[in-house]
Amino acid sequence: MFDYIIIGAGIIGSMVARELSKYECKVLVVEKENDVANVQTLANSAIIHAAYNPEPGSLKAILNIKGNYMYDQLEKELDIPILRCGAYVVAYNEIEENELDRLADIAAQNGVPEFSVLSYSEAFKKEPNLSSNVTKVLSLPTTKVTYPWEVAFAAMENAIKNGVNLKLNYQVTGIKKTNDYFEVEINNQDIINSKYLINAAGVSSDDIAKLIEKQPKFLIKGRKGEYFVIDRRYGDFVNHVIYPLPTEAGKGVLVTPQVHGEVLLGPNSIWVDDKNHPTTTFEGLKYVKDHSKTLINNIPYDRIIRSFAGVRASSNHEDFYIKESEEVKGLYHLGGIESPGLSAAPAIAEYLVNEIMQVNNKYELNKSYNPIRKKPIPYYDLDENKQKELYAANNLYGRIICKCERITEKEIIDAIHGTLGSSTIKGIKKRTRAGAGLCQGGYCEEKVMKIIARELNVSPLEVAYDKKESKLFTSETKVVKK
Amino acid sequence: MKKEFICIVCPRGCRVVVDGDDISGNQCKRGIDYVKAEMTAPKRVLTTTVKTIFSEWPRVSVKTDKPLPKELLFKAMSDINKVIIDKPLDIGEVVIYNLCNTDVNLILTKSLKGVQK
Amino acid sequence: MIDIVVIGAGAGGLAAAITAKEKNKKVLLIERESTLGGILNQCIHNGFGLEVFKEEYTGPEYAHRYIEKLISLKIDYLLDTTVTKLEKLSEKFIITMTSEEEGIKKIEAKSVILTSGCYERTRGHISMPGDRPKGVFNAGSAQRYLNINGYMVGKKVFILGSGDIGLIMARRMTLEGAEVLGVAEIMSYSNGLNRNIVQCLIDFDIPLFLSHTVTNVIADENNNLKEIIIQEVDNNFNPMINTEKHFFVDTLLLSIGLIPDITLLDELSVKVDPKTKSVEVNQAYETSVRGLFVSGNSLQVHDLVDNVTKESERAGLCAVEYLNKENNEAEEIRILAGSNIGYVTPQRLDFSWNSSLIISFRTNKKMEKAICKVIQDDKVVYKKRLMFLVPAEMETISFDYQILNRTSDIKVVLEELS
Repeated sequence: MFDYIIIGAGIIGSMVARELSKYECKVLVVEKENDVANVQTLANSAIIHAAYNPEPGSLKAILNIKGNYMYDQLEKELDIPILRCGAYVVAYNEIEENELDRLADIAAQNGVPEFSVLSYSEAFKKEPNLSSNVTKVLSLPTTKVTYPWEVAFAAMENAIKNGVNLKLNYQVTGIKKTNDYFEVEINNQDIINSKYLINAAGVSSDDIAKLIEKQPKFLIKGRKGEYFVIDRRYGDFVNHVIYPLPTEAGKGVLVTPQVHGEVLLGPNSIWVDDKNHPTTTFEGLKYVKDHSKTLINNIPYDRIIRSFAGVRASSNHEDFYIKESEEVKGLYHLGGIESPGLSAAPAIAEYLVNEIMQVNNKYELNKSYNPIRKKPIPYYDLDENKQKELYAANNLYGRIICKCERITEKEIIDAIHGTLGSSTIKGIKKRTRAGAGLCQGGYCEEKVMKIIARELNVSPLEVAYDKKESKLFTSETKVVKK
Repeated sequence: MKKEFICIVCPRGCRVVVDGDDISGNQCKRGIDYVKAEMTAPKRVLTTTVKTIFSEWPRVSVKTDKPLPKELLFKAMSDINKVIIDKPLDIGEVVIYNLCNTDVNLILTKSLKGVQK
Repeated sequence: MIDIVVIGAGAGGLAAAITAKEKNKKVLLIERESTLGGILNQCIHNGFGLEVFKEEYTGPEYAHRYIEKLISLKIDYLLDTTVTKLEKLSEKFIITMTSEEEGIKKIEAKSVILTSGCYERTRGHISMPGDRPKGVFNAGSAQRYLNINGYMVGKKVFILGSGDIGLIMARRMTLEGAEVLGVAEIMSYSNGLNRNIVQCLIDFDIPLFLSHTVTNVIADENNNLKEIIIQEVDNNFNPMINTEKHFFVDTLLLSIGLIPDITLLDELSVKVDPKTKSVEVNQAYETSVRGLFVSGNSLQVHDLVDNVTKESERAGLCAVEYLNKENNEAEEIRILAGSNIGYVTPQRLDFSWNSSLIISFRTNKKMEKAICKVIQDDKVVYKKRLMFLVPAEMETISFDYQILNRTSDIKVVLEELS
């Protein structure tokens, strides 16, 4: 019997798992995907917002402000990348300037630190490619950028080290509550029991609610966003996150520097029926191109290396829906966690665990809790002496596998066998960046495939690109039919 | 009746026009031979691979030493797919003699000399 | 100190190293793969060597000729060794490299020739819409899996882009038992050699859809490719409505162009030509960094390997000339791409060199007949008639540049003839 089952290993599920690991309770995280942070957390703008637009007093405002602060601590504890680039919200005319002033008011009410309103010429000095149509700028120095997948990964790795259990490829297919515990059905077969249940299933959180509630109080609709990625070698045309004014549909098409030097363009905002399956379209990508160029000049569109789509879990509530179920005691919902969900994530976890669930009244503190997680150091970020030292200990540091991002064989092997190891091409790419660069795996995919096969002692025919059934090869050549 | 061919003898790809006995457009003599064969019995050089027992080169490249009648390409492939090379043969050495009962041999286009098992 | 370090042992690197060694220079050739020959090893089809050897070879045979020569000349080479950094300190280069055997190592050289080839454009570069499933491969990657490793990436195949690699793979996959349902090309004409259209598509009844592109990629629940949609495009390459064709395939191969790989030059501030996406060079293949030469596909993407060899032999000779060169006061003019010209190399003409001038260019328009003119101060200084120009094929012209004045830039133009 578990004390808690958390459904979903996205950034919210991972943060809640880590928060719970501070206490003496038994926690299981179940994830339907084959890796952590595979849906909403994997594909978004990666911004830790300053809280310049959520309604003052709302959970979105309070938890965003708090979460933004908490990332400074998380950076030290979890060894995650943070880019402190700040942001500019831009206005183009008098009407928009009034709206910008209203946002500045909201920022003041929300307690956003250090914000200021700049003239075009003041902003231009810091952002030389800023469109000359811009008339006024709201500067938000506390806006940061991170790598959301790695934040979730790091939090989950740390939670596991502190005693949390994680099961991947575990889809919740049924929930029953008998007497005082939950029976959670996995993949239409096994039953696992827990005292409490936490619904952190992101875009699927309403589907989870429907498994046990007669009338769920929230509904998720998917809102898709499409993006371009510009090669990090050409990413220096912009210094800040550049936002247009927000609209009903969201924060608009942005230009966002990324922690590894790339620049993201996007997202657009389109309601989709299939919320688990966002996809890019010709029209959507064209929209992003057309809108990004109104913010910044000299965007090197010919240096785009990738495009992708993500989905936001928008709900029928304005605010985050973080509550105990009205129908089923002991079931806690984390619904409608869309922007600023990433920014608020650590604060959301703390709010749920301490204020809603009051875990501190139920369980003792975990005395062996260690908040520190160390990331595997990218070998080519080290100085030469350290590189030589590591090579002396293991000569596989000498062999480069991904030439674009300079990832060595040892780093690939560590990613395969790590605490949260992976044996798929995509899993290795997320963990090491092998294949994330200019040639997008054209050079290294074959080498990574061979290393996976060797390390797991399987045939290359068994190596998957992503899901278990997505094998890289369909057969050998020269198979003689009997 | 005029008929146009694209000569495939070399990368130049001449457009050769045949009008009765008159052949034009070819930049070299081989174009004439190609077009004549193409009208009667088209032939192609087959390039493919053969299985080996060597882990360093699990497949090795081969070609036919002469063009093979076009209609025999798939038959030849199925014969070639049955072969496994277990000796470190040199480039140019014959892997299959008289492929599909023609006078065409299959030869190695790569050296396996010094290859590791 | 080494006289000349050559980086990359494909067709270009082999030729450059051999040429320099024949002039008795101390040469070191560095290759990141475990074999010499580069991409030629996976190009098992024939069509190589007609220009250089007057004989038709497959890729591995072509490479073999040069590898034998390299070995007979006792040229030093390193395998499984990746160069990670290239720096220049006053007159010498410092090359940092790494291997499993030796770890990180630095060597010094008087001159460097970069022959690192090119990489394939991916679906990301053309912003291809749709899902991101398993089953979308670059044609070259699939070629390596098929020909070197011996694995099929799929059984039902569609190919985007009519470049030669795509056409060659259409035939190879068919011969190995896959079904190739078609090839789509966004341009109104094929980008591959005519002979490949004949022997790779027509021979196997594979349809070619000109002015079509892939507008959707659809995955199944396991994230495997299950379907693609192609559409006809208008003159601005925008897809037209009601032209959708559906193909149920497990594999989409991309043959959508190659880009010179000059990422090794990131640390040196070398002048780049946005048209070739490689570095600017003078007629000696020397970059804006003195003593650093670039040739082969890392300078410009060639359609014939023979031209990679010839260009790199010239680069090898120029690197030799550099070692003994005293006159560095450069009178220099620029070579500009004029009307109907996609790009030119070299981009500069430096009168301090003895090397001859060979200008390579590509048309940006398909033309039956054209006249190529070189213009200086509004005067035509050179002209040549050319036939059957297509953007996929590189053209070269050569003339004695001593006839030029040393102060005005020259411009290469193409005039279409009817």
